[in-house]
Amino acid sequence: MPIGRLPRLEPLRQLLRSWPWGLLVLALVAVRLSKGAVLSDAYALLSRPFWPGSAQREWLQSATGLEQLTRQAHLEQDNRRLRRLLDLQRANPDKLTAAVISREPEGWWQQLVLGSGQAQGIGPGDAVVGPGGLIGRVASVTPTTARVTLLTDRTSRVGVWVGRTQRHGLLTGLGTSRPQLVFLEKDPQVRPGDLVVTSPASTLVPPGLSVGVLQSVDDKAVPAPTAVVQLSAPVGAIDWVQVLVTSPAARQAP
Amino acid sequence: MGVLHRLRWAVASAGTVPLLTLASPSFLKVAGVSPSWAVLWLLPWSLADGPLSGALAGVGLGLLVDSLQVGPETQIPALALLGWWWGRLARKGPPIERSLSLGLLALLGTLFLGLSLLLQRHGISLPEPLLRQAGLHTLLAQTLVTALLAPMICSLLLLLWRRQGAISKS
Repeated sequence: MPIGRLPRLEPLRQLLRSWPWGLLVLALVAVRLSKGAVLSDAYALLSRPFWPGSAQREWLQSATGLEQLTRQAHLEQDNRRLRRLLDLQRANPDKLTAAVISREPEGWWQQLVLGSGQAQGIGPGDAVVGPGGLIGRVASVTPTTARVTLLTDRTSRVGVWVGRTQRHGLLTGLGTSRPQLVFLEKDPQVRPGDLVVTSPASTLVPPGLSVGVLQSVDDKAVPAPTAVVQLSAPVGAIDWVQVLVTSPAARQAP
Repeated sequence: MGVLHRLRWAVASAGTVPLLTLASPSFLKVAGVSPSWAVLWLLPWSLADGPLSGALAGVGLGLLVDSLQVGPETQIPALALLGWWWGRLARKGPPIERSLSLGLLALLGTLFLGLSLLLQRHGISLPEPLLRQAGLHTLLAQTLVTALLAPMICSLLLLLWRRQGAISKS
């Protein structure tokens, strides 16, 4: 073999020739690892003209009026109690109205996608409320979208409080329309119809947000009684939500 | 492998699958459940371009569709298997063109895809009644609407892919 000539490596040449396919595979893996951030942003851009109109927004605002009034009294009472007991400076979250731009049947009770994101100040962990009360928390954000993990998702765990008996519990999603409330005590003294709000001790979501109503209670569950909760917000049919945007400084704090 | 995968715009058309999944048009829903757009795209592609191209398209499509889900479940193995199977069916037997055949293949494919997801979520043990009810509802509704749409969408796509394949060859 003459010096300076390399043997013909056909497989290597074929591999070099197929570099566009390699790029495509890398791009697909990147999309997968980013949880579809590019796809969500592209969809938000394309579907912007078809987002729910202003009429629906007004209807939703008037429907939430009554809920706001009842919740306000509870929040004020709770805030006073917390500040007195803990002397804790809590960040007051801003409310941001966002449209629901996508829901998928495979993850109907797991997640939804909002048409506002990082650019509007939304960050992971922000609480999301619908007409009636809390529906979930922001799981991830892109510049123009936010993916919300619903309370009904199996990975969702939120500390809640039954106001009438002042008992704490852990609200756990089951992947269906009704999450389960696991109490921390043997005898929580609750009954169907009791109102459930977010725990005054919760660090994940603002305290005192309406969550739902106890539908049925299983006193014989082991190790602690459980209850099925009917969420007060219509998670199954919701077009607009409000994101309780916490400030970046408050988000970084433990 | 056929020649279809060499057409860049044909490959790029797979990008409509996640966008349609996100949009989930309400007029194409049955009992609140959208069709499996991945199956509707993959079936004609595999029939036109062969088993290897079908399996690879299944993997790529699976990566795209998986990225829209928060959970750890994946559709990649099921879609790759379906792509390979449909491609093999087209190569080994007479050309599949009839609406009934396309609908039946889409029905079986969606059923297999839905079952693979259910299996990953709950294992072989039967889930709680509420979960079982919700899972079965989604599975049956999606299978039905996909099988109903397949004769329309898949036959049009199949015609398009075969024509483009013939033009590329010539």
